[in-house]
Amino acid sequence: MEYLYTIIILVGLYVVLASSFNLVIGYAGLISIAHPVFYAIGAYGSALLARDFGWPAPLAMLAGALLAVAASILLALPSLRVSGDYLLIASIGFQLGLLEIIKNVSWTGGAGGLTNIPAAFAPSTPHWVYAVIVVVVAALSVLAVRAVAHGAYGRAMSALRDDELAFSMLGRNAVAMKVGSFALGCGLAGFAGALYAHQFRYLAPDQFEILQSSAILTMVVVGGLRTTWGPVVGAVMLQALPQAITFMNLPPSLLGPLQGLLFTGLVLVFMFIRPQGLIPAADVWTGAKEAHDVGRR
Amino acid sequence: MLSADIIAQILWTSLATSSYAVLFALAFALVLKVNRVFNFAQAAMMTVSFYAAHATVALAGLPSWLGFLAALAGSLAIALLIEVLGFRTLRRRRAAQMFVFIFTLIISELVAYIAMLVFGTWPATIFPSLFWPVTLVGGIAVSAWDLPAVGAMLLAVAALFGFLRFARMGQFMVAVSDNPDLAELYGIAKERVFLFAMVISALLVALAMFLYGTRAQVQPTTSIELMLFAIAATIIGGIGNLWGAAITALLLGVVQNASVLFIPSEWQGFLLYVFLFLAIVFFPNGIRLPQRSRRLTRKTPTPTLDASPTSDPQKV
Amino acid sequence: MSAVVEIRGLEKRFGGIVVADGIDLTLTAGRVLGLIGPNGAGKTSLFNLISGVVRPDAGSVRLDGRPLDGMKMHQRARLGLSRTWQNLRLFPSLSVLDNLMVAPRRYAGESLLRLAFFPGVVRQAEAESRRKALQILERTGLADVANKPAGGLTFGQQKLVGVARALMNDARCLLLDEPMAGVEGQAYQTIQNVVRDLAASGVAVCVVEHNVAFIRDLCDEGVFMFAGRVLARGAVADLIADPRLTELYFGT
Repeated sequence: MEYLYTIIILVGLYVVLASSFNLVIGYAGLISIAHPVFYAIGAYGSALLARDFGWPAPLAMLAGALLAVAASILLALPSLRVSGDYLLIASIGFQLGLLEIIKNVSWTGGAGGLTNIPAAFAPSTPHWVYAVIVVVVAALSVLAVRAVAHGAYGRAMSALRDDELAFSMLGRNAVAMKVGSFALGCGLAGFAGALYAHQFRYLAPDQFEILQSSAILTMVVVGGLRTTWGPVVGAVMLQALPQAITFMNLPPSLLGPLQGLLFTGLVLVFMFIRPQGLIPAADVWTGAKEAHDVGRR
Repeated sequence: MLSADIIAQILWTSLATSSYAVLFALAFALVLKVNRVFNFAQAAMMTVSFYAAHATVALAGLPSWLGFLAALAGSLAIALLIEVLGFRTLRRRRAAQMFVFIFTLIISELVAYIAMLVFGTWPATIFPSLFWPVTLVGGIAVSAWDLPAVGAMLLAVAALFGFLRFARMGQFMVAVSDNPDLAELYGIAKERVFLFAMVISALLVALAMFLYGTRAQVQPTTSIELMLFAIAATIIGGIGNLWGAAITALLLGVVQNASVLFIPSEWQGFLLYVFLFLAIVFFPNGIRLPQRSRRLTRKTPTPTLDASPTSDPQKV
Repeated sequence: MSAVVEIRGLEKRFGGIVVADGIDLTLTAGRVLGLIGPNGAGKTSLFNLISGVVRPDAGSVRLDGRPLDGMKMHQRARLGLSRTWQNLRLFPSLSVLDNLMVAPRRYAGESLLRLAFFPGVVRQAEAESRRKALQILERTGLADVANKPAGGLTFGQQKLVGVARALMNDARCLLLDEPMAGVEGQAYQTIQNVVRDLAASGVAVCVVEHNVAFIRDLCDEGVFMFAGRVLARGAVADLIADPRLTELYFGT
């Protein structure tokens, strides 16, 4: 049972990560690979606030998410001011650079990892409680991304992806919208990180390396970019698959690369053979409420 | 503490280590200029050429020139695969820029994972020892690696310069990079030019990686960091400006080597990300030489249309 | 009649090419001004300079007395500047209705914070802009295709959508870049009527157009541009009749 709860929690967290990454890369059309690093910022931020400053876990988690939001704005503003292409490069540098810092300073536990993170609940609390919380958070994230993408904001994001110049000429602030959706996506990732930290109570920098980036990217691309359920399907599937590999009792030195090979290989296969993913997105944007009108036409 | 000797030593070491950095930057900048692609798959080319040389020399015990050939072959093979199977398909589909980005990045990661599975994650080298005999030249330590490396770099740069300037294919490349559609109208086959740019980039990468691998240890993830250095140089040097990228790579090398004096060595690697960030924030369009470019626009003669009759401008 | 847009000493060159060479021009409320001139005279460039796509080297643009210099495109649009594009620039992945609904001068759904904390405000604004969009679509004869993807319409209809979208701004000044190129029949008449109504309601309209008949029928006044300069301003019929301008137009 214990193992099952752990899997449910992990799958739930990846649903949050994949959905929020879908908001960034799919709906907003912003290419960043640094999603795991915002996951890390949320996790480390919350863990340190709770452990070293005695913040209660829920408050620390919120603060962790806000830290991720702040960091994402800091990254996105200068690079998006120039052109979308630069965000990708900046995100690679940001991810590797921040992990380098985490590995080299002592107060994050360095390369050895951060231990003794306070648990969210007293030890007597049954384990399924946390699993339920994570599942609820995952469901809320999916719904939030869906609401944003299919509401007035989503209409504007769709227009922005089509033609930025015409979009600006209508009085829409393209940079603000890009930064806004990026910050929301990264904030959700940060919250997922905080949830992770107080459950597993141990963090190490190599959990947030580029392997994680490809894992999340794979979930979105394989599941279906710009769809509500694609990332969910991708997250569930790709979280279950590596678990199967884990059962084969491979040494960790093989396990990591093998998972990486699986993730990157899947992205390539899907990119060339089925670019729309398992769940294809509609060609034309539809609002949450208008969807029925259009269908009946 | 900052004696002339130390400064001279730093400059010399920077020049020597820039031999590969310049070539990596040129390879990246060339593909960006001609194919208009941020070719993050360059890291894959780098990884493959290193491990090809490593397998040939260190594992199979074959002579080093065979190792160099293996590096060339490995790099070329990957470049051709990427161009023919990847880029061509994506161009034909008119895939969004995002897919091209993802594709190149994923290829690099895929190759890194394969290298980890085959060769392990431990640092590896081409020759069993990284030690090169050192001679003192007027107070400066010059290793036996330095001169051949710098010489090879200069030769490669000269060859590239000559190729772009004088060879027909080189001129085509410049034409395509200026305006691909116009070039097509003049009967220059874009596809061949794109392929050729990838080939040249692969050759530069193989040479540079061979140089790097004979002087330092390499892990499957090393290439991505080396490539980020090249990207920073390309951005600061001005996108589309090959020689700007090369010179910037050289200068960044000097800064990185000089930093030994000021910051602890474990933070050396971090400097790279500082470069990258500064490049994006402050020099997104490269460093312009303001005076020269301004004079160029000012001095251009106004078009002869100006002489047309404007005797009665207000004819209301 | 008051000046809506005042352009003073506008200069811009790209390398050696001069696209604006000291342009002075005033757009007046309630009047339709036609820009005439050969290709490369700087007509579209003038639109780009006014709307902020391109930064001028010198000179200033004012909208209702307010200097626009240094402002970004979206800021100018929010002050009441609207334009269409020669090459349409519709949003193909939106329906015709949504193309319009994304275009009001104030768009409540642009802020995530407002969406999260004042969903009622956003809903109300959306309902209002939907009503307005449907009204405009009715007026431009596009009501039937409101829910079709914008990319799937005929070229003439797409031109109409471009104009209709620009109307959502309630602009003080509307710049129309070749609204008639490739348009025939019903759409032609519709655009003419819409523009005329708009001017009658006090908007300053400026049109770049090669269709001389359209310019003559519609414009209160014309301006002849050549090599980034305003060479002449006057009644369109007079400008067309001037042999020197005709010679410049068709080249020698």
